[in-house]
Amino acid sequence: MTLLEFARGPALQVAMIIFVLGATWRFFGALLLPWRLVPAEPRKGAPSPIAAAFKGVVVKMWPHKPFQKAGMFTFVNGYILHFGLAIVVFLFAPHILFIKGLTGLSWPALPSNLVYTVGVITMASLVAGLVHRLRSPVLRLISRFDDYLSWLLTLLPVLTGLLAAAHLGARYETLLAVHILSICAFLIWFPFGKLMHAFMFVFSRAMTGVRMGQRGAEL
Amino acid sequence: MPQEPKLAPTLGELLQERGVSRRAFLKYASYLSAVMALPAGSATALAEGLANARRQSVIWLSFQECTGCTESLTRSFSPTLESLIFDLISLDYHHTLQAASGEAAEKAREAAMAENKGKYVVVVDGAVPTKDGGLYSTIAGVSNLDMLKATAKDALAVIAVGTCAAFGGIPKARPNPTGAAAIDEIITDKPIINIPGCPPIPEAMAGVVSYLVSFGKLPELDHLRRPKAFFGETIHDRCYRRPFYERGLFAEGFDDAGARQGWCLYKVGCKGPVTYNACATLKWNGGVSFPIQSGHGCLGCSEPDFWDQGGFYRPLSTNLREMGPALAGAALAGAALGAGAAWASRRHQESYQRDQSAAEGDKK
Amino acid sequence: MMTQTLHASIPQEPPRLTGMSDAVFAEVAARLAEVVAGASAPPIELTAMPLTSEDRADLEQRLGRGEVFATIESAGRSEVWETQFSGVWFVRHFGENDRTASECIEFGAAPAILFSHRADMAAAARRLATALQPANAHETTDH
Repeated sequence: MTLLEFARGPALQVAMIIFVLGATWRFFGALLLPWRLVPAEPRKGAPSPIAAAFKGVVVKMWPHKPFQKAGMFTFVNGYILHFGLAIVVFLFAPHILFIKGLTGLSWPALPSNLVYTVGVITMASLVAGLVHRLRSPVLRLISRFDDYLSWLLTLLPVLTGLLAAAHLGARYETLLAVHILSICAFLIWFPFGKLMHAFMFVFSRAMTGVRMGQRGAEL
Repeated sequence: MPQEPKLAPTLGELLQERGVSRRAFLKYASYLSAVMALPAGSATALAEGLANARRQSVIWLSFQECTGCTESLTRSFSPTLESLIFDLISLDYHHTLQAASGEAAEKAREAAMAENKGKYVVVVDGAVPTKDGGLYSTIAGVSNLDMLKATAKDALAVIAVGTCAAFGGIPKARPNPTGAAAIDEIITDKPIINIPGCPPIPEAMAGVVSYLVSFGKLPELDHLRRPKAFFGETIHDRCYRRPFYERGLFAEGFDDAGARQGWCLYKVGCKGPVTYNACATLKWNGGVSFPIQSGHGCLGCSEPDFWDQGGFYRPLSTNLREMGPALAGAALAGAALGAGAAWASRRHQESYQRDQSAAEGDKK
Repeated sequence: MMTQTLHASIPQEPPRLTGMSDAVFAEVAARLAEVVAGASAPPIELTAMPLTSEDRADLEQRLGRGEVFATIESAGRSEVWETQFSGVWFVRHFGENDRTASECIEFGAAPAILFSHRADMAAAARRLATALQPANAHETTDH
């Protein structure tokens, strides 16, 4: 069995199973907990929980004025990173084929050259994010192993994907196998670390919105 | 080539008798050095090497195969430039091409082996069945396994022609009922050159034999023992449809608008990106076309286990194993685990709260 | 008619100039300069170069035709001509079905394939000697 066969076969299979099992476990494990709200009566004039939840999700998409100067880099870089990742992952023709193979769903792709460019930007954004994290004493203090591992496992698929596209460093079949294996590592770690925010961020923001809303706090 | 005791005529002398001049050698050499991308100016050296070499004794063994390799090699050479390869070699044994048959044929093989001990080249097409003592394929009562070992023992080098000989090919495809094996799994103490393909490109075969005869050494090989001159680049690298891949223009089927406009065949399963061969540059049938130009994706036939890569029409970027049921099971199990965890947590919280209120009640 | 329509619909290499002919043309100039300066220059092998049919046509047209054109019949046909630039030779070998098997640009007084090889001359001398004997007069027509 070649490395590519291993990557496309058993490695991907095991990684996908762990990813789905872990992600549904954590997802249901968190959502089926009691939706514990503030025990006190809601303040007068407090928004309805649904409106508060919605507001919680939307308002957090841009920094509050007082924090704009300090937080702008994190926001802008975060958007570049996440949009970049979304474009690379979901609008590259070979990736769509992979998803189609799994789910039967497909959609039009972007030109490959454009996706490569976005990939480079995404990687630069990841590196910038790490530099920012390491240079800020506060961020460094609150960063855990989880943060660094999640960063690395996000970077590797982008990096190996770009190398495969450019045929750099090794033969293409090896690069492709390494790329798929890096995705396997990403999928395996995903449910158990901070990468899980991709599924959970909406709920956590909504819950914060509801709690704050009940107390009458401005978000 | 080492000198023989009783000097046989050189190829130059031999062909001269038939009115073939050195110009033919030079022409053939410039053709080969172009095809093999040898360094500029090596045509003259190659021509001299060929003219001064002795005729190479070749014993051709056909095992678990379909004769497609032989057909490919012989059919493509009409009596001009490319046919010169058959003047360079003395094909002392070949099932399909030799006139002798039965006992006489086997005698010819043994005679050639004895006469050219240590100097003959063994060409093999077809895999070798190894299961149950190799009884699944025999010639004149001798198993392929035994014949290969006996013939390769005093050979100068072994050339495995076609994917079956090089990597096991179709006989080795799952479930491989005969225990088919590649030549280099059996012969481990001789120089081996693999020229895979189903069938292999004739020029690759001619180029390797000529190189061997002329320079007396093996051409540069890759990690799968394939000559880099022919297997150094992927089909995808040299494909004329490559620009469509980069622009994201793909045929979705074999008869849609994209296919008619010659767009990239990646989505319909082309294995060009991971297939090392010279089809895109040398092409087939005298340079007429190659599979992708004719509208079909590359099958990856010059790669090991190409038959077991999940299907010829399955795109390269897709997973090889069926995952639907396993993933559905994983999702159900995950949901159950999550629900169980949440339930346990609720129970824990409730009992904690009960304990708390009981404790508060006690205080009162 | 049907086959013609079909043929027309089979996609071929995109017809375009890639700039490769400019590069080869510049290389021709550089190598001829070397030869003029007294050095020798290896031939430019065109067969394996990623030239489109337009590139090839453009190169051939720019090199043009000079005073010499020769056909060689040896293991199939070959054509050799001096380009409009003296000392720059175009050599084209044909394989089966008049397909171009290889082509290159050579530099110098004449391309190697035009010269008679010593071994061939020696063989010819032997044949001539034999032919001079009256009994063997028919020998020369054998080859």
